[in-house]
Amino acid sequence: FPPAFQSIPRNPIVLDLAYHCIDFPDIENRMKKKGGGFMSRINLWGTKS
Amino acid sequence: MAPKSKEKSKTPTSQPPPAIEDLFTSLNNHIQGSEFEEAVKLADKVLSIVPTDEDAIRCKVVALIKDDKIDDYLIKDVKINGALSVINSFQKLPIDLGFHKAYCLYRLNKLDEALVCLKGLERDSETLLLESQILYRLGKADACVDVCQKLSKSEIESLEINLVAALITAGKASQVPKALE
Repeated sequence: FPPAFQSIPRNPIVLDLAYHCIDFPDIENRMKKKGGGFMSRINLWGTKS
Repeated sequence: MAPKSKEKSKTPTSQPPPAIEDLFTSLNNHIQGSEFEEAVKLADKVLSIVPTDEDAIRCKVVALIKDDKIDDYLIKDVKINGALSVINSFQKLPIDLGFHKAYCLYRLNKLDEALVCLKGLERDSETLLLESQILYRLGKADACVDVCQKLSKSEIESLEINLVAALITAGKASQVPKALE
């Protein structure tokens, strides 16, 4: 006494990988435009042309 | 006296509702800071103005899931809808929340219902992954192995951990080294 330690099989680990597939939608275009001043208008023209 | 009372009656309506884009900006800040409870509140504010806003609905559902509020819960004896109830409440809208619903059912251990829900969805790597997890929990390790092997080309991170677990549970431990190659 005490009895010797013995190894026992354990349940294998399973991960909840599907959790990572659930993500927030892209709401960038729903947000307030950054800047909003004169410079941002120039940018807007720049991206449109 | 007359103008005063006029002003008084105006005050409740004189406060315009916050602009939707402002609400989305705050919502995004809360999402970035992982403040999911606040994110739900902001999504609700958007929905109080536009009750069918798809982005707000999706944000609310995902925030509830990330906050572990899958099932309904109580705050001071008041029942609050969890993610699954919220998804069901928007079922009539043309917004596809099928995967989210199946995931919630899986988390609530309603495994057969989750499988039925998945069957109505496109079979892509996400639905197959969730299916493999449901099958494992149902004790169908062999079927789980099959689905995991189908997924091996999708390069899902850490998938080999679940595959090894399924192989061992299915009594196919001898295949583990090959699976890890």
